[in-house]
Amino acid sequence: MSKAKSANIVTVTSPTDGSTVRFVYEDPKQGGVKDVYFDPNKQYAVAFFRKKLDFNGKERINRLVGPYRQSIFEREGGDYWKPLFRWPEKVVEYDGRTGIVLPFYEKHFFFGPKTSLAGAEKEGYWFASAKNFNKSVPPEEKGALLGFLQVCLNLSRATKRLHAAGLAHSDLSYKNCLIDPTSGSACIIDIDGLVVPSLFPPDVVGTRDFIAPEVVATMHLRSDDKNRVLPTRSTDLHALAVLIYIYLFHRHPLRGSKFYSVDTDVQETHEMGQDALFVEHPTDASNRVRIEANDQPFLPWIDTAKNPYKIMGPYLKELFDQAFVKGLHQPNLRPTADDWENALVKTLDMIQPCSNPKCVKKWFVFDNTSKPSCPYCGTPFSGILPVLDFYSSRDGKSFRADNHRLMVFPNQYLYQWHVDRNVFPNERITDEQKKAVGYFIFHQDKWLFVNQTLQTLKDLTRDKMIPPKSYVELTEGLQLHLSNAPSGRLARVILVKA
Amino acid sequence: MMRKLPIYILIDTSGSMRGEPIEAVKVGLQALVAALKRDPYALETVYISVITFDREAKVLLPLTELTVLSIPEIPPLESSPTNLGEALELMLKLYDKDVVKSSKDTKGDWMPLAVVMTDGSPSDTLLFDRMCQKIKGYVFSRIIGCAAGPKAKTEPLGKFSTDVVILETMDSNGFAKFWQWVSQTFSRHSQSSELSVKDLPPPPPEIKIAI
Repeated sequence: MSKAKSANIVTVTSPTDGSTVRFVYEDPKQGGVKDVYFDPNKQYAVAFFRKKLDFNGKERINRLVGPYRQSIFEREGGDYWKPLFRWPEKVVEYDGRTGIVLPFYEKHFFFGPKTSLAGAEKEGYWFASAKNFNKSVPPEEKGALLGFLQVCLNLSRATKRLHAAGLAHSDLSYKNCLIDPTSGSACIIDIDGLVVPSLFPPDVVGTRDFIAPEVVATMHLRSDDKNRVLPTRSTDLHALAVLIYIYLFHRHPLRGSKFYSVDTDVQETHEMGQDALFVEHPTDASNRVRIEANDQPFLPWIDTAKNPYKIMGPYLKELFDQAFVKGLHQPNLRPTADDWENALVKTLDMIQPCSNPKCVKKWFVFDNTSKPSCPYCGTPFSGILPVLDFYSSRDGKSFRADNHRLMVFPNQYLYQWHVDRNVFPNERITDEQKKAVGYFIFHQDKWLFVNQTLQTLKDLTRDKMIPPKSYVELTEGLQLHLSNAPSGRLARVILVKA
Repeated sequence: MMRKLPIYILIDTSGSMRGEPIEAVKVGLQALVAALKRDPYALETVYISVITFDREAKVLLPLTELTVLSIPEIPPLESSPTNLGEALELMLKLYDKDVVKSSKDTKGDWMPLAVVMTDGSPSDTLLFDRMCQKIKGYVFSRIIGCAAGPKAKTEPLGKFSTDVVILETMDSNGFAKFWQWVSQTFSRHSQSSELSVKDLPPPPPEIKIAI
């Protein structure tokens, strides 16, 4: 290393914890409001705010690295949240500027060394844009529908956690979340713009494509005008819904062909602001995406007739309706992060592997019809598909439908959160509850459920206990009482033949 | 549905650019294209056209989609005048042909961007003045005029540019930083918008913004 280079390594002491922080003070990567430098060993990054922070700004980051950080990560279950956030660790001061120390991204958030994008960060837009997804993302990095649903689940969980702590992110966008659909992971970055109502007001309005309509519509007003709408938790919920839609469909929910003005700024104000209209609005078709001759690189994703939003199943369809039809201009009607988490967990129980090995999405959400086929490649499902509908009881006698079904595929597992209505796959789940309790196999033309650990599984149809390490054949109408605990569920089997 | 973001790059290839300056421009252009090819926002929309100008203005690269683009070789330079006016005229001609304008019911292309890099002042002053008027009738999101080197004049650039930057030295480092800045300007729309007005990213220390 040359002398000139090593001369630019700066060592400072962090006032947060007295630790030593080193970074190469040259060629910063420029973000929206920060210049980012790296430590010589690339273990962490140091991001300096370009503008001098005022008292409020400094107080905010001190709380971020202090009480907010502790309240999320240093409590029971804190480890669960670590991969979901790139949370500032400490504050540093240098050269009259304030900076924050951030952990380096995990390896799976960079494109693999053997791909054409080797070393580039997996920021969301690679996957959000239909053209990039088709043409630029290397095939081995494209993931499958399963992975994208998990990405959305992780984003919902992360948002839910912030909101539960009374915080709003204020700038959720594909730029500010890294995703890896091959592993289903997601990580929210750039947390330092956090908004706390009446304590820390927002300093950005958000990123294009994600700014809520009520914010766009009042952007021309001064920031102290009482009619001006600024980012809050409910605008985060708009951004979250847009993110989920974009990752699942590779298109934007509001960018259709409706035309307002030749001036791109005016057009933007209308289509993202007061006149924002869902491209798949069930009754108003005026903003549908019009497919033109030069749209080849974007197909089939932008074609809403081919990939309508209902292909994500009933739970997500309902939330998209709530987010983009009912709640688009009524912020209080938007689905919460918790709603998204629930719907995604249920949707993950409805997916089927596509039998076409070349299918780009590899999985699809079962559409509740008797003749299912993969919406991506058209391959029909053939064979027998067992479906388990779950019921639970409040009084131990009558069982009511939980509006939750499990589509069975070979080698699929059954988990504790299917068995017990009080268990949900979230941060409160214990390691013991994460273990599968049994699995499904298709063996000699029969569908079997193999019980591994359920102690009180009972076949109600044949009035027979099914002890661990034995199996039961899935037949039409079969009723299984999965556990005799008061919160234990009942599963009813339907066999779909296609 | 598909909207392109056209970028016109006009490069002075008059004799005074011979040697290190033009080599630095070539390296810089290549670095710009490489950087944009790793930017998902640019990859989706950017189309680039390169025009060179000396005694005459030529289309070195017609408007080409970024994904398939490679910068052609700039031929060796000879001593010649700096016909910037002719270059602007050529660019406006290409604009008329390339750019899909928004019409009553269709969203047209994104507003194009232009980068003009010169180390001198225009020789074809009459045509240049006419073009400075004509360009006002065209919609650009930005026209960045870059005055490179000690002899470059900022005043003519100011007549048609929205931003004028000065590169004091003509070494490759300065050019590299300039293109880096330009590429950040391109991907600006993907970044968080602050509460107040939109700014360009701050230029690196070697570049001065004149206006």
